[in-house]
Amino acid sequence: MKLPALATDWLHARTGPLTRELLLSPGEFGLGQLPVLRQPDATTTMVCGYCSTGCGLKVHLRAGAAIGLTPDTNYPVNLGMACPKGWEALEVLQASDRATVPLLRDDRGQPQPVTWDTALKTMVTQFRTLKDKHGPESVAYLSTGQIPTEEMALLGALFKFGMGFVHADANTRQCMATAAVAYKQAFGFDAPPLTYADLEESEVLVFVGANPCLAHPILWERVLRNRHQPEIVVIDPRRTETAMAATLHLPIAPKSDLTLFYGLARELLQRGWIDPEYIGKNTSGFEAFREFLQPYSLELTAAETGLSLTDLERTVALLRPGRRVSFWWTMGINQSHEGVRAAQAIINLALLCGHMGQPGTGANSITGQCNAMGSRLFSNTTNLLGGRDFLNPQHRAHVAQTLGMDESRIPTQNSLAYHEILEGILKGQIRGLWVIATNPAHSWINQNYARDVLSRLDFLVVQDMYHTSETAQRAHLLLPAAGWGEKEGTFINSERRLGVTHKVCHAPGQALADFSIFRAIGEYWGCGDWWNAWSSPEAVFQILKRLSAGQPCDFTGIQDYTHLAAEGGIQWPCPVGLTDIPRERRLFADGQYFHPDGKARFLFEAPRPMPEPATEQFPLILLTGRGTAAQWHTQTRTSKSAVLRKLYPEKIYVEINPRDASALKIAPRQMVRVTSQRGELLARAFPTPTVAAGQIFIPMHYPETNRLTDAVFDPYSKQPSYKACAVRIEPVTATAHAAASNYASP
Amino acid sequence: MSLLESLPKPLPLPVSADAQPVLEGWSLIDRLLAEQQQLTAVERFSQDFSTLSTTTSHDPAQARYYAALMPASPPGPLEQYAFEVDLDRCSGCKACVTACHAQNGLDEGETFRQVGLLVGGTSALPVLQHVTAACHHCLEPACATACPVNAYEKDPATGLVIHLDDQCFGCQYCTLACPYDVPQYHAAKGIVRKCDMCQQRLAQNEAPACVQACPHEAIRIRVVQRQQVIDDCETSQFLPGAYDPQFTLPTTTYKSARPLPRNLVPADFHDITPAHIHWSLVWMLVLTQLSVGTFVVEFWLTSRWGSTGEWLPLAAVQLGHVSAVTAWLIGQLALGAATLHLGRPHLAFRAILGLRHSWLSREIVAFGLFAALSSLYAAGAWWSWNFAAWGNALAVSIVVSGLLGVFCSAMIYEFTQRAYWSGMATIQRFLGSTLVSGAAIVLLMQATTTSPSELSVTWLSRLLLWSSVWKLSSELLVLRHLRDRSHSVLKRSAQLLTGALRLLLSLRVVCSLIGGVLLPTWVLNGQDFTLGMGFAIASLVFAGEVAERCLFFAAVIPHRMPGGVRS
Repeated sequence: MKLPALATDWLHARTGPLTRELLLSPGEFGLGQLPVLRQPDATTTMVCGYCSTGCGLKVHLRAGAAIGLTPDTNYPVNLGMACPKGWEALEVLQASDRATVPLLRDDRGQPQPVTWDTALKTMVTQFRTLKDKHGPESVAYLSTGQIPTEEMALLGALFKFGMGFVHADANTRQCMATAAVAYKQAFGFDAPPLTYADLEESEVLVFVGANPCLAHPILWERVLRNRHQPEIVVIDPRRTETAMAATLHLPIAPKSDLTLFYGLARELLQRGWIDPEYIGKNTSGFEAFREFLQPYSLELTAAETGLSLTDLERTVALLRPGRRVSFWWTMGINQSHEGVRAAQAIINLALLCGHMGQPGTGANSITGQCNAMGSRLFSNTTNLLGGRDFLNPQHRAHVAQTLGMDESRIPTQNSLAYHEILEGILKGQIRGLWVIATNPAHSWINQNYARDVLSRLDFLVVQDMYHTSETAQRAHLLLPAAGWGEKEGTFINSERRLGVTHKVCHAPGQALADFSIFRAIGEYWGCGDWWNAWSSPEAVFQILKRLSAGQPCDFTGIQDYTHLAAEGGIQWPCPVGLTDIPRERRLFADGQYFHPDGKARFLFEAPRPMPEPATEQFPLILLTGRGTAAQWHTQTRTSKSAVLRKLYPEKIYVEINPRDASALKIAPRQMVRVTSQRGELLARAFPTPTVAAGQIFIPMHYPETNRLTDAVFDPYSKQPSYKACAVRIEPVTATAHAAASNYASP
Repeated sequence: MSLLESLPKPLPLPVSADAQPVLEGWSLIDRLLAEQQQLTAVERFSQDFSTLSTTTSHDPAQARYYAALMPASPPGPLEQYAFEVDLDRCSGCKACVTACHAQNGLDEGETFRQVGLLVGGTSALPVLQHVTAACHHCLEPACATACPVNAYEKDPATGLVIHLDDQCFGCQYCTLACPYDVPQYHAAKGIVRKCDMCQQRLAQNEAPACVQACPHEAIRIRVVQRQQVIDDCETSQFLPGAYDPQFTLPTTTYKSARPLPRNLVPADFHDITPAHIHWSLVWMLVLTQLSVGTFVVEFWLTSRWGSTGEWLPLAAVQLGHVSAVTAWLIGQLALGAATLHLGRPHLAFRAILGLRHSWLSREIVAFGLFAALSSLYAAGAWWSWNFAAWGNALAVSIVVSGLLGVFCSAMIYEFTQRAYWSGMATIQRFLGSTLVSGAAIVLLMQATTTSPSELSVTWLSRLLLWSSVWKLSSELLVLRHLRDRSHSVLKRSAQLLTGALRLLLSLRVVCSLIGGVLLPTWVLNGQDFTLGMGFAIASLVFAGEVAERCLFFAAVIPHRMPGGVRS
């Protein structure tokens, strides 16, 4: 006899409300199955707001607002994939510590909610007073590579042309300044030649100071789609995930890159494995370079870099002309005391062997932030709008004319760089600072110094999505900003692709798009008639198009946001008249560079010793870098997703070679104190042979890390050298650990 | 936080008759705030799917990438679906975890997939290997065997191990039983949930979320021969750092062209944080054993000497009504605690469904019987019913069902394959508790009577003394593993006991030494047995047993897939 259905369910419920919670239903919009409770009624594709890969994310909308996302299958960058940060991009907008109202410190120093009107009046009054009293160099801003180009340009124009200040820089200084300067000097314009398809087309891929497996997982996707069974050379002191996947890992001694590349170049020359035709036709400075290379024998190179002769010879053989060879560098090169020359040493190798301009070739910088390229071209900080020069009167005249503005509004001097701005504060020359969407109190090198400097300001304005970042907590005035997904604009990725983002989420409370905040400040300041044209992101996009005209980055052929959205992003250059725009384009196919003579330059300089080598007192070299693919920079966003938090170690830890660990009597997971000349921190030890003896590694995402780093800068790019300083490490007893309060506190 | 709470609410938008915000006469700020809340993307950038859809089929767009990662046809007889992970392609980006979370609509922080890290090799050739893992859809899933309510089913057609969310009553036994830490307890819902290999997607020939989302095509779905899985589990290693596959016969294949060095260990290998203390289980175990112990010791005592001290035939066994009711009450409390442990206690009745395979069902049946019989007995004792010849049978049944329950309790933990919970150790531990706490309570009963029987007190003290010594020493034996050269599981338990749990361990040892050894010795040496003494012994022994049971849960090293760096 069968039990009635009710009784069966009661005893053995095969379905019911809990089961239905995870029910999927056939997907619309080509999406496949999705949870019944999260079915969209429309979708739109926009560029991700984390890194410079620039993935297309398909945002699922219901009643106009985002309810989820999936990577866009058709976007030419990511081909339907995303890293964990991208998958969780909407989640972090919901955090409880979002800044929702302007906060102004009261007489007792406590942040109090104020109206936007009060906030902006206060800010304008403070900055104007400083300007009147101490001149136009007394206020500066530090901006970001995380906001759309239109906002960067608006900010740069407002601050310099409208408010009449001079000094501004951005956290892009920490990320790609070196690449920008290296390209500009070598090619005549800051023009990364690559397109991501090159990763699929190469027969030899050389990664230098780069760990795309973790830092750019979607680029690693493109590497794994390479059907040529490529040789993969990874140059990195650590055995990273990427080094694991390499066919040849060169565990180079930290900061010996220049010697390595000069040694390789000399050997290529020696063996005649160069492309004389390319060198003759498309480069200048070769003879001097050949002369310069004489001392860099392979033996010397092996001694300096700690690499074996066999490995060096293997590398030389891989680089010779005849195969498609591409070079890819990231922060291991950029964040270095001689990063510009190191990047150019890589460029030299590519020029030497003619590995330029063809599919699967190039000396390619993978940059960091989603809009690093936008910042390089249009932030109006280091360069005048459109990759121009503040010191060049013709450039100033052209920009003023294009903007319908009096030329006198354009400063005739260059901005101070990031570290010079901080020095200016220390000297009392800069008294007001405006920090937009970046977190120097966490991320700047030699953090104790940076925090001290910030504390000396007369007035610190921080404009951020969150009121909890280390810098926001130090602000006199906090302006609540809308984030990615809550505003419009375009980003330019590592392969020069402009992509568009949309407003698909409601910003919390009174948070405003950075664009609106800049607009409002302009109104409160009183910028004049020229300012009226900068009315909306899309209006600014049209202004930027005009500014790009005639420059290598010309994108006058892009009509508008709709055009960008329809094409899945468009790479510059895209001048008017370019039709049937191919989805993947690289530069220099014709061998024509942007210097007046059309040639690329060999640039070189003798290596300088590492500024802070290991000593008896500080016997280990500290390397810093990305920890996991789920973490982004200072973690103001990624720490807000419960899922991402599960994907990375919660607290700071230090990787150390097991031999060093046992010599120092450091057990796995033991608390250790790491000390440099500048500061100290407590961390858990994680012995691993992937870090070489004599070195330790600490991820950069933890707030303590930069207490140790040494404020040394590349002389040309002024980018900080985060990746090598001397430290000592010692075990901490349980009692000392309990007594130490600095561990785990922000 | 107080700052946040004091924030003004967002401005309401005044709306005109045609639902357009009225902005005329507004200040700039008000206009910007109003604009900020208007979402226009859908009107301007909503995608036109007539042009995007793939022309010939209704396949999802993503199918062009995952089609190659799917089996050509569904499993036939003697076959099933399985994950295959190409370790050479798993770079540790963890997109699979977030995609699974998002695409399956999981709750905040809930994940069905995890990525661990193996590290090893030498300084000359170091090796690091990320490992993605979800449910292994085992041939003999321990979760299903353990489940007392039959909430797990192995789908006969696909071989997938499916969890029936509405059948689950949240006992979480599967979370202890699975050696790969797959089932995840969702406290707010009071149930466990787990990976079902996106069976709804598979049914439509769509790839599971993780397969679709892996940028490196490291995860694919295969159809495997069940016999092949068995053969592989017998001969090859499943994955370094993971539990012996012969227990559950996991079907996931981890493949690599690179030889994995023998010294690979999980990045969390040295992480010895105490495991979760399941408080309701602590109370349930201690109290059931106390209740059973009280009956056992009382019956033993009265069957041996009767209330007057002379040998009595078994038929005359009879407890004082206070003892019977106390023992019964404690038993009821224990079962109440057990119910509290359930995420959905109103479904407790389903617990007997798994009697054929689940030690938890068996425990519940045994203790259910014990509770019923002891209730009858207690009622009889209270109202002085005359059971006549049935009394003996009843007493024996109570003891047998109670001891059977305690045995089943031990087997629940033995089944988890965790070394610290191994069968003999756990049986000794639980039986020891039964005797120790039974003796202590019966002693207390003696102390409450006006004239304690000297003979009973003596025998009870002896029983308490020797069972305490035996129990304590067998528990502390695990500390010998501190001298192990290898970082064995039991060494890690011992390190926990002497490290993070040392205070609890000291409490346990001190309570047991004083209550179970020192005071009984004193009594045996002629110290007056007073009510205070009885109370001191009982409470110290009880506290010691509670502490011991906390240690039982906290010092165990669970089996799990390799985890990441834990800091």
